[in-house]
Amino acid sequence: MPYLGSEDVVKELKKALCNPHVQADRLRYRNVIQRVIRHMTQGLDMSGVFMEMVKASATVDIVQKKLVYLYMCTYAPLKPDLALLAINTLCKDCSDPNPMVRGLALRSMCSLRMPGVQEYIQQPILNGLRDKASYVRRVAVLGCAKMHNLHGDSEVDGALVNELYSLLRDQDPIVVVNCLRSLEEILKQEGGVVINKPIAHHLLNRMPKLDQWGQAEVLNFLLRYQPRSEEELFDILNLLDSFLKSSSPGVVMGATKLFLILAKKFPHVQTDVLVQVKGPLLAACSSESRELCFAALCHVRQILHSLPGHFSSHYKKFFCSYSEPHYIKLQKVEVLCELVNDENVQQVLEELRGYCTDVSADFAQAAIFAIGGIARTYTDQCVQILTELLGLRQEHITTVVVQTFRDLVWLCPQCTEAVCQALPGCEENIQDSEGKQALIWLLGVHGERIPNAPYVLEDFVENVKSETFPAVKMELLTALLRLFLSRPAECQDMLGRLLHYCIEEEKDMAVRDRGLFYYRLLLAGIDEVKRILCSPKSDPSLGLLEDQAERPVNSWASDFNTLVPVYGKARWATISKYQGAERWGPELPNTASFATPGPLIPEESKETVQELPDSDALMLVPSCQLTAEYFEKTWFSLKVAHQQVFPWRGAVHPDTLQMALQLARSEYSGRPDSLSADTQIQNLSVATLRRWPRWSLARASELV
Amino acid sequence: MIGGLFIYNHKGEVLISRVYRDDIGRNAVDAFRVNVIHARQQVRSPVTNIARTSFFHVKRSNIWLAAVTKQNVNAAMVFEFLYKMCDVMAAYFGKISEENIKNNFVLIYELLDEILDFGYPQNSETGALKTFITQQGIKSQTKEEQSQITSQVTGQIGWRREGIKYRRNELFLDVLESVNLLMSPQGQVLSAHVSGRVVMKSYLSGMPECKFGMNDKIVIEKQGKGTADETSKRRPSAPARSGKQSIAIDDCTFHQCVRLSKFDSERSISFIPPDGEFELMRYRTTKDIILPFRVIPLVREVGRTKLEVKVVIKSNFKPSLLAQKIEVRIPTPLNTSGVQVICMKGKAKYKASENAIVWKIKRMAGMKESQISAEIELLPTNDKKKWARPPISMNFEVPFAPSGLKVRYLKVFEPKLNYSDHDVIKWVRYIGRSGIYETRC
Repeated sequence: MPYLGSEDVVKELKKALCNPHVQADRLRYRNVIQRVIRHMTQGLDMSGVFMEMVKASATVDIVQKKLVYLYMCTYAPLKPDLALLAINTLCKDCSDPNPMVRGLALRSMCSLRMPGVQEYIQQPILNGLRDKASYVRRVAVLGCAKMHNLHGDSEVDGALVNELYSLLRDQDPIVVVNCLRSLEEILKQEGGVVINKPIAHHLLNRMPKLDQWGQAEVLNFLLRYQPRSEEELFDILNLLDSFLKSSSPGVVMGATKLFLILAKKFPHVQTDVLVQVKGPLLAACSSESRELCFAALCHVRQILHSLPGHFSSHYKKFFCSYSEPHYIKLQKVEVLCELVNDENVQQVLEELRGYCTDVSADFAQAAIFAIGGIARTYTDQCVQILTELLGLRQEHITTVVVQTFRDLVWLCPQCTEAVCQALPGCEENIQDSEGKQALIWLLGVHGERIPNAPYVLEDFVENVKSETFPAVKMELLTALLRLFLSRPAECQDMLGRLLHYCIEEEKDMAVRDRGLFYYRLLLAGIDEVKRILCSPKSDPSLGLLEDQAERPVNSWASDFNTLVPVYGKARWATISKYQGAERWGPELPNTASFATPGPLIPEESKETVQELPDSDALMLVPSCQLTAEYFEKTWFSLKVAHQQVFPWRGAVHPDTLQMALQLARSEYSGRPDSLSADTQIQNLSVATLRRWPRWSLARASELV
Repeated sequence: MIGGLFIYNHKGEVLISRVYRDDIGRNAVDAFRVNVIHARQQVRSPVTNIARTSFFHVKRSNIWLAAVTKQNVNAAMVFEFLYKMCDVMAAYFGKISEENIKNNFVLIYELLDEILDFGYPQNSETGALKTFITQQGIKSQTKEEQSQITSQVTGQIGWRREGIKYRRNELFLDVLESVNLLMSPQGQVLSAHVSGRVVMKSYLSGMPECKFGMNDKIVIEKQGKGTADETSKRRPSAPARSGKQSIAIDDCTFHQCVRLSKFDSERSISFIPPDGEFELMRYRTTKDIILPFRVIPLVREVGRTKLEVKVVIKSNFKPSLLAQKIEVRIPTPLNTSGVQVICMKGKAKYKASENAIVWKIKRMAGMKESQISAEIELLPTNDKKKWARPPISMNFEVPFAPSGLKVRYLKVFEPKLNYSDHDVIKWVRYIGRSGIYETRC
């Protein structure tokens, strides 16, 4: 364990636990046990007193029993031989007259997570399933799932499964729901619990008796059921109608999802449902529980993707309040951006303009981007607001406004004139890389309309030596070359200087290569340059159309009420991709969670992993055995795809990859087959690291 | 499914950690601390993904509660569960604070054991839980209590056990509303809504059947029509009783015990209440809200180093009622060097640490008006950033429901026991509080 000095504590506690005086005094005894638990909570390794704790379990004091059982569940994987000693007591408790003791013992026994415990728990579980107290039955039903999990891949016990299916008709609502959960886990390999017509109808009838957790769970299971006829379908929908008005937002969302999925062939029913849940969703969005509000807003955005006008009349509900947390404000701005229509655009823009001067730079920038988004439809008003914002001469505002202009000019060419008039003067207020890139790009592409464009670029050329961002230099090269084509007289000298600098003095290989590339292009003649640089750009209208295309409800219905709307689809795809690989991998050994404090993965490295390309090369599935040669071959054959997804950014890459590899490796450590996985990673890292220098070396030698 | 639950103090020390599933390791505890609690920037999202593990957190004062899972779960459900857990804990030991959690950590472990099993939520009703929690010490249970556990939750009603007896049958109804307002400097309402709750505390014997009525517009109109039909024969020009006295509820949700089918068909709210305190319904209204206070701000910039602020508040309710705990918070610029305040009523103070003038008035009757004026001296700065002028916010408590909701009746029927509706002592109380009540200036 990472904490030092636990030995003394353990020794002292051990002494106290053995002390007969302490043992005689119940309160003192319990206090010592409490201290053990407290240290355990803080992460100290308390497995040293396992023996003494086992002894303490033989007591009539229920509180003490609970504490000891909690302790045992935590450390049993580390001390399996000693834990067996406790089984006797537990078994005895399982036949205690008090149902609470029975339940407690059974629950603890099933949670012991150590090999060999199965043979002892099988009988108590079977007894528990038939216990007359519902409390014990609930525990026993989940115990079945725990037992199955311990076995790992062992085959499914048919008799037990049948028993569980019959318990679906139990009187106690929680037993019913637990049965579903348990069956789902036991039958995972076969696709989970089967919901046929009788079960589905039984569950539907029991729904009102369940608590909110049960209702949400059952709604989730019902997604699997396919009604045979249209009539049945609408009967079910009628039964479920009241859950759209449940007091629990979770149940409302669960019911909505079920409606959307069941009625996937009836778009008008889907729309109707979404109208019905508008009220509850809006209520959740303005509720005082911030986190819930956040989750609801994510789903509102999801709905707006398909039904842009859905919340338009309620736009005021999404105005930000000063004291709201950051994450809610950002979500609300996104929502506002999507629900504008002709009636409310004026008010929404007015409101967004207020946010642009917010103290929080992040929030202000989000608001400006939102205005940029609205500008695609209401161009004139938005460009005017954005131009006014430039007048504030605030660095963080100007840079974002310029970036917005860049995107806007590309998507709505009609506003180019207005943008070009607004640009002069803003170069003084831009310091960051993104903003500079945007400004330089604008100057390059539309330089012929901006009188002082060459002079602004000249300033950048003068200061190119002290420029820290390679991306800005690259942008500068391209922009200047473009401007040279339209205004050769003013730019020729500058361009020469810049090219000279880039080829002779620049240390960043990418910039240097780009410089050389343009130099050679110029050698080929000015017509050639024009043909390449000024050839018609990809049709902007295409992208725009795609963006605005109706996304049918069915495309996201299955993601509704999951984490997908919260994380965003792209991010979820990367997260779940790894999970998919993990699912089929062997279970982590139980001890791993305690013995190895795995390396903490900082947020940054995780982000980079998500940017990794989709190629198969990085899907390290441990089951397929690759030889080093074969791997290298595959890797090399993937060259083109690789370059596309990874924009060349010079020296960053080996690091990024290294980090990614470390992450991947930490995932694989502790697995039985980690050896082979590790070698693969070694191969990969060697191959990659070798790859980059070689590539640029080749280029360099070619040039010399 | 929840893989584990952790509770941290503001420093990130673990107070409680309970792991339910194998896939959550001890390192998850540290990962959340490092990436969220100790992160330098403000919280980006209540849902954080670290190494493909999702962390859902809520904060109560300076305590962090985090639920951890690797599955694709319903975010709303997990948050609801965390809220429920907070409620349950609060019901046992009051406010959720570091000290309380440390002192009750055995109890919390007991609770966590009962409300979640293998990561699945089990029973979470405080009343029903009480039977299982033995925090009071060595209490070997009597035969009677044992049989209670067996008979409890026999399938019929999960939220109430049988055989409850009270010498005095009493019930308390609290209508708690929070009124939210966002007003433009010109006095135009940008958005306003009331979110209200009807909380009932019942001490009733047996299995009483209750019926609750309020001045819901739909009900009143329906009844009005019914009576109008009858009376029209006698008095053709009888004015409809609805109108100002009824309210339009935008949406409402009920405790699980309310029979929703009956509400849908007849719009009547009937239920068998849980024992003790519970939230009967939750509603939201946006129309015809009585705004208890009107804030009229006047900010004048006198040169570059001086600001003059004048704020008038007007109370807008019956003169016989008294508002309490009134607090007006007037934000000041960051470069404030000194403030002079004059107010007609209450106490006003400039709080430099909060960058605001806080004006407190203990009590204020309806239809009154009071004002404060302040001169704010500013340090000259070369910061070009304009002061963003945060809104003036207000807090108060009024003894009426700003939505206009009125309880018309609450009838109790218990056919098996010998007490009738008249024997039950009933109390109703209305409290309107400010939610986010802001006026831009």
